[in-house]
Amino acid sequence: MTMTFERDVAATLQMEAAHRQRRFAKGLGWGGLTVAVLWFTADQIGMNPLALIKGADHMWDFLTRMFPPDLSYIFFLGRATVETVQIAVWGTLLAVVFSIPLSLLAARNTTPLVMLPWFTETWQRLSLHLLVFHLTRLLLNMLRGINELIFALIFVSAVGLGPFAGVLAIALHATGMLAKFCGEEIEGVDQGQIEAVQATGASKMQVILFAVIPQVIPAFISYSIFRFDVSIRSATVLGLVGAGGLGFSLIKTMKLFRYYETATCILVIFLLVAGADWICSKWRAKVI
Amino acid sequence: MNQEPPETTTPGQERNPTMVSVKDVSKTYAGAGATEALRNVSIEVREGEFLVILGPSGAGKSTLMRCINRLVEPTSGSIIVDGREVTSRRRELRAVRRQVGMVFQQFNLVKRLSVLMNVLSGRLAYHTLWRSLIYSFNKEDKRIAIECLARVNMEHKTFQRADTLSGGEQQRVAIARALAQQPKVILADEPVASLDPKIARQVLTYLKQIAGELGITVLCNLHQVEYAREYAERVVGLSRGAVVFDGPSGKLTDDILQQIYYRDSEAGDDDDV
Repeated sequence: MTMTFERDVAATLQMEAAHRQRRFAKGLGWGGLTVAVLWFTADQIGMNPLALIKGADHMWDFLTRMFPPDLSYIFFLGRATVETVQIAVWGTLLAVVFSIPLSLLAARNTTPLVMLPWFTETWQRLSLHLLVFHLTRLLLNMLRGINELIFALIFVSAVGLGPFAGVLAIALHATGMLAKFCGEEIEGVDQGQIEAVQATGASKMQVILFAVIPQVIPAFISYSIFRFDVSIRSATVLGLVGAGGLGFSLIKTMKLFRYYETATCILVIFLLVAGADWICSKWRAKVI
Repeated sequence: MNQEPPETTTPGQERNPTMVSVKDVSKTYAGAGATEALRNVSIEVREGEFLVILGPSGAGKSTLMRCINRLVEPTSGSIIVDGREVTSRRRELRAVRRQVGMVFQQFNLVKRLSVLMNVLSGRLAYHTLWRSLIYSFNKEDKRIAIECLARVNMEHKTFQRADTLSGGEQQRVAIARALAQQPKVILADEPVASLDPKIARQVLTYLKQIAGELGITVLCNLHQVEYAREYAERVVGLSRGAVVFDGPSGKLTDDILQQIYYRDSEAGDDDDV
């Protein structure tokens, strides 16, 4: 009895050692490959620390031109700062409105199913039932995948220079993010609460209103506040392509070589972003 | 044989018409290792009856109940509730579901809504979507909801959020939600499995009162024998998806219980005891 017992333990120990060796060899192989790929990549994109060291005096030159910042320029930035916040507010608000219906379409459990009687094969049903879901996800991925600056360029050519183009750019990009996150939140709701409302004889839409929405509201609000924070950051650079806000002052002072004023712009942007971050984190803590 | 409560309005249960009729219902869950949850189950339940369906975990009690209001689609067989065949066609199904309230083991209240809103959601099937879109109910609905809450002595918590209540309180609100549907049948799926014995008896008493006083047919799933003996008039014993007993609770002998709980298959004890 004890003999077999000890033999079993010894055999398992030996197996453990073999396992360890195999894992080590595997780790070494993958690790080596990763390092090789990264080294090759760094070479390809011209990553060269020497260039940075050689360019140090240029950088120093640039920085000294900015110091000390011309703080009196702050008084000229008031309007642009307010405009930045306004762009973020309206962009986020529009995104919230758009993303409510889109998130319902982008969740497997609330999306309208496409029923076509002549499709009987399982694979046909699986792909076609979720047609609306897949199309919505595709749209959202497109919105999320395209940077706000690119949207801003498009809208500047459509509605002209100014903050409205920025609002539209942020609204579209933020819709992609909000609706995707909320769609995933909807897919994760408690099925029991849904069943209970279904069992009362409620229609599909009533079930969404009374069992799904109450469950996802806290997460939705939390995402929206987070998104507002991100929108503020985006709104500070949209001016680079002429879509209003602080970014426009930034690029303007740089092009006029008035670096003392550029420094002030950067300072104001930093304060605005830090302030928004602080307020949003307080606000979210209160909601959750 | 008959231990009828004195307050029953209709004397002689035998003369009451059939309310729920389950005929040859089978259900096999598809997928890897397809499981036969129900095998040719037939049960007739009369109006105002308090019926306990007794059986171990995994006997198919839940599946049977869910077939009655089509939360689960049976593989074969037919179910008739109040003279109406239960189908999966949406409009007709909603009409049947309105007649059939359900109470769950996990209560399944919508946690972030108030007690009143939860009970009012029992009224949804009486309304059009347009009214629901603004979360509005009329005065009559509110009167019904508060009456139902008072019936389970929960009206003092009307405005509290559902997730602030204890388990027993949540289950009472869930009963009120089912009552607010003004149903003919209430399905209670293991309503006391997550409650302590004292609260469990309280909840079962409410359910039994509902059957006796309001004439609502109550089907109640239980796995505890003592509760079945204490509360049931009639017991249906379910084991491995088949009815192995159907009779008054007085006739639940040890032999029969043995059959319900320990009827092992040829393979031996592959279930928990």
